[in-house]
Amino acid sequence: MTEGNVMIELKNVYKNYGSTQALSDVSFTVQKGQIVGFVGPNGAGKSTAMKIITTYTAPTSGTVSVGGFSVMENPIEVCRMVGYLPETVPLYYDMLVDEYLEFIGAARHLNGKFKGRHDWVVEACGLQPVLHRKIGELSKGFKQRTCLAQALIHDPDILILDEPTSGLDPLQIIGIRKLIKDLAHSKTIILSTHILPEVASISDRILVINEGRIVADGSFQDLQQKLTERNSAYIAVKCTKKEFQSAIQSLSGVDEVLYDENVPRGVIGAHFFSSFKIDLIAQLNDLIRNQKWSIVEFTREKLSLEDSFIKLTQGSAVSGEGGAS
Amino acid sequence: MRDMAIILKRELKSYFYSPIAYVFSVIFIILNAGIYMFHFFFFGTVDMRAFFSTLPLVLGIVFIPAISMRLWSEEIKLGTIELLLTLPMRTEEIVLGKFLASFIFYLFALSGTLAIPIMLIFLGRPDFGPIIGGYFGAVLLGAFFLSVGIFISSFFADQIVSLIITSLVCGFLVLAGWQYVPMIIDGWIPGLGSFLDNYISVSRHFSDIERGVIDIKSIIYFLSFTALFLYLNAKVLERRKY
Repeated sequence: MTEGNVMIELKNVYKNYGSTQALSDVSFTVQKGQIVGFVGPNGAGKSTAMKIITTYTAPTSGTVSVGGFSVMENPIEVCRMVGYLPETVPLYYDMLVDEYLEFIGAARHLNGKFKGRHDWVVEACGLQPVLHRKIGELSKGFKQRTCLAQALIHDPDILILDEPTSGLDPLQIIGIRKLIKDLAHSKTIILSTHILPEVASISDRILVINEGRIVADGSFQDLQQKLTERNSAYIAVKCTKKEFQSAIQSLSGVDEVLYDENVPRGVIGAHFFSSFKIDLIAQLNDLIRNQKWSIVEFTREKLSLEDSFIKLTQGSAVSGEGGAS
Repeated sequence: MRDMAIILKRELKSYFYSPIAYVFSVIFIILNAGIYMFHFFFFGTVDMRAFFSTLPLVLGIVFIPAISMRLWSEEIKLGTIELLLTLPMRTEEIVLGKFLASFIFYLFALSGTLAIPIMLIFLGRPDFGPIIGGYFGAVLLGAFFLSVGIFISSFFADQIVSLIITSLVCGFLVLAGWQYVPMIIDGWIPGLGSFLDNYISVSRHFSDIERGVIDIKSIIYFLSFTALFLYLNAKVLERRKY
């Protein structure tokens, strides 16, 4: 990993919208040829990070460079290099699909290369059947693909795709994933999603963002290993929260307790997480017996990736930052 | 300049493809010609004074806001502003392209009223000085009001809100120098009415040009205010980043 291969670099980036902090001390670099998946719940800051990389929004503080150019000082150079599919799927509804592509092609100064690129994106995004239809009349899937074509038409070195598969049917999703995979050989790609299998299937690297911070960074395998090498158990018992909280103090080796909100009144439910060396089940069993709680539910949990993701992104809320968005 | 032309082309298509544009042009021509013809038959003079005296109000309150309201509001609502501002183009060129498209559309609608002077040629021997001056003033006035409108539309996602605010601002710019209005304002706050009349309002400058008195000061007034609002528009769009 040499300096020359760094395509995107964020250093201590903060972004505030009024009093809300959308990004807080975000730093990461993306190497040439990498496919990076941004994962996180809605409102976590994925789109904000993408808007900053594409120059649409300026960071409140910190530095961002794309392909060696600063987004603040050379926004036009950055825009030239980047293909961007915003989450809002921006399209002019009164234009035909073909007119729209022509407009983007002109704006990107494609000139002589336009014909070839146009034919390529039409083919790649499957736009042939709607080429002469009004954009406003298209289905959500075709709108999404028209917008994706816009991001690809100038053959950019860097692709920023904010939820590229939202609104597509399963078959189209597979098609788009394959397309992204194929493009990866020559391009640097950041895509965001909240569908985990999606990132798992296409990204080399996953950045989990929650409440404006990067909470995990690594390959899918790393994350899976890190997250699932843990014991987890769920109990729901009849007692008061106060009683429960003081009783669980006696447990040893528990890393984290995540309370379950969806339990009936008078019942306390919680997920317990510990390192895999700790016998969580035996400890909880003793605890319940000592406290003479009546059990509503007691299960050993196997952490699926979805669970890990939920834990990862809700974990910080439990550890005291509060406020779900 | 090349990027400006690309934006201009797209915006013009958008104006001329939408039925609303034609509806507004027709209403504009009917309204103006209607008001004029009433005067024409009532006083029976072969000039266009009546036309040009009501023109600033019709333009400022109804027609210009209707042309300019969509320029940014529509982009904000559709989210296409995100696309537009992440294209490798300077914001100034985008603003200028949009402005010129709306200006050309305005000229197109205004040219529809040329039927009146043509009619006058057949009916009598009109004095062409005030008529040419009037059209010249209308062109400058339209550019100024459009720059105000495009600036205002960059603040609102709702086109109707942009329309109403533009209509209020342009209406104020006309009325601040309209007939007895400055005197009435002077009655409330001494000096304010004359200040507005002399320095802010379009009415005095427009009526000078329309009488055929083409004063360089009036031309500078219109052009500099137009440039100022276009400049502010580009600045506002850049500030949106923060």
